[in-house]
Amino acid sequence: MAILLVSSSFSPAEITMSTGTLYTYPENFRAYKALIAAQYSGAKVKVAEDFKFGESNKSAEFLKKFPFGKVPAFETADGKYLSESNAIAYYLANEQLRGGKCPFAQAEVQQWTSFADNEILPVSCAWVFPLLGIMPQQKNANVKQDAEVVLQRLNKKLLDVTYLVGERITLADIVVFSSLLHLYQYVLEPSVRRDYVNLNRWFVTILNQPQVQAVLKDYKLCEQALVFDPKKYAEFQAKTGTKQQQPAKQKEEKKPKEKKEAKKEEPEELDAADAALAAEPKSKDPFDAMPKGTFNFDDFKRVYSNEDEAKSIPYFFEKFDAENYSIWLGSYKYNEELSKVFMSCNLITGMFQRLDKMRKQAFASVCLFGEDNNSTISGVWVWRGQELAFPLSPDWQIDYEVYDWQKLDPKSEETKKLVTQYFSWSGTDKDGRKFNQGKIFK
Amino acid sequence: MCDVATVQKIANCLGVSPGKIQLNEEQVVTRTGAQNKTVAGFATILESMARESKSETAQNSIVTQEVQAQVYQWIEFAVLYVAPGSKDKYVSKQLLADFNKLFISKSYLVGHFITLADLAVYYAIGDLIKSLSPVDKENYLNLSRWFDHLQQRPEIHQGETMLNFTTIYLHNWATGTHI
Repeated sequence: MAILLVSSSFSPAEITMSTGTLYTYPENFRAYKALIAAQYSGAKVKVAEDFKFGESNKSAEFLKKFPFGKVPAFETADGKYLSESNAIAYYLANEQLRGGKCPFAQAEVQQWTSFADNEILPVSCAWVFPLLGIMPQQKNANVKQDAEVVLQRLNKKLLDVTYLVGERITLADIVVFSSLLHLYQYVLEPSVRRDYVNLNRWFVTILNQPQVQAVLKDYKLCEQALVFDPKKYAEFQAKTGTKQQQPAKQKEEKKPKEKKEAKKEEPEELDAADAALAAEPKSKDPFDAMPKGTFNFDDFKRVYSNEDEAKSIPYFFEKFDAENYSIWLGSYKYNEELSKVFMSCNLITGMFQRLDKMRKQAFASVCLFGEDNNSTISGVWVWRGQELAFPLSPDWQIDYEVYDWQKLDPKSEETKKLVTQYFSWSGTDKDGRKFNQGKIFK
Repeated sequence: MCDVATVQKIANCLGVSPGKIQLNEEQVVTRTGAQNKTVAGFATILESMARESKSETAQNSIVTQEVQAQVYQWIEFAVLYVAPGSKDKYVSKQLLADFNKLFISKSYLVGHFITLADLAVYYAIGDLIKSLSPVDKENYLNLSRWFDHLQQRPEIHQGETMLNFTTIYLHNWATGTHI
């Protein structure tokens, strides 16, 4: 990485006069706090060259200076060391940024700094990191609602003030702004951020200050929110190797299947699909990213509806394109909670309704076995692509987590038996409960 | 509003010597500055002062040609519409509503920093804002926020009594009025 000089009018001679060196990886929002503060104060900061995250900060030399091995870290020109981004930003700031002369205003700056760390960052990380694939998705976490509470509080605050503390930009603005960067970049798409007009106004004002622009350069507000993609996380895990953080390991135990599948896939194909997904506007069919293949769902559905199973099931295996389509067995996880048959059927049809947009590229027969208070739900699903289809669209993610998904080998005899059984609504479940009702997703 | 007093106030804000400000025989405000050069007209005088000033506001106002043009537009607007309009009951209502709407999404009139445009409109609309009752101010929270932000700067209020906007904090417990 080239030296990033903070002051725009820097001559090489001045580098030696720099008040210090900042160690960070690129585009680190924590480092931004320090760099923006330096823009306001005119402090000369050199960003360490050739810093490699995970290597440089684990080196003995680095650990000697900064025992925690964390970045951003700052080394002053006269050899003193500072860690923790807020402290570095404070050191590099000027009097105005620190809250002026009034102790109360200074305390307010501290208040907002703590607010950013304790209120904003946890919700921002919980929401955005899984989408970036650097943290597993937390089940049942109300990340959006949690974020809403914090954002609304800020929005309310900024209704009648221009800046968070006093009438000038302070570290309070810079720190809170930096903590919101990920949210505004990745998830607060226009329809979502419409609820936060005052916060938006303030955010855009701070963003467009020349001192902030000098540091952020190409920052853009979110046009379309990221959606969760299990592949990305699997890739991240593969990249980071065996040395994983605690939460990563948990995820491995929970979802070993998914990970294996992701690994099986060829990396080239993955990238293409990822790129296509990212490039395409949301309204398009998420399946468009997958190769089309030769299997025609409409034709099969017509045959299935009009002909006897004796004809339609052989037709299915004859036409099925194993390369571009996959067959899955989905088993309901909480069968013991099922009571009345009609309620269970509503559960299935409800899920079908919510998956409406999937119909074109998918087919399923979901069956209920057993009777009132003793029943199970399971189904055979077919869709385009080799991966679990549900993460492709946020609309499809409501129900799938309550099912266990098992990918079936289209060539095996066992699969043929299962497909025949489910498509023809016959047989029993594993524990011998008789077929009761079936629902077709087409 | 394009009177001698306002020009003097803005000169103070910018930290420049106002020179000799007076009305000529056509009642147009003129400024006779250094080297006895005289410029006439409110907007032109403001521009001439911005060039002399080293203040943040002045620097912001001439940062690019586009900004400069937008600032000029607002100065004209302040002179031609805001000042006379604020004396009319109906026009002033519209003005307040328009500015309030504008400040929903903006912190300042031009760009994202304080410029001469803010100063010109601030002084043009000051009397109107002063005449508002606390309840009226409640209806223009965004405008109030902007006005309050400016008046808190010592170089802008210049020792005059500050308008009280504290009642707008009412919304913290009377949220129903702020939909």
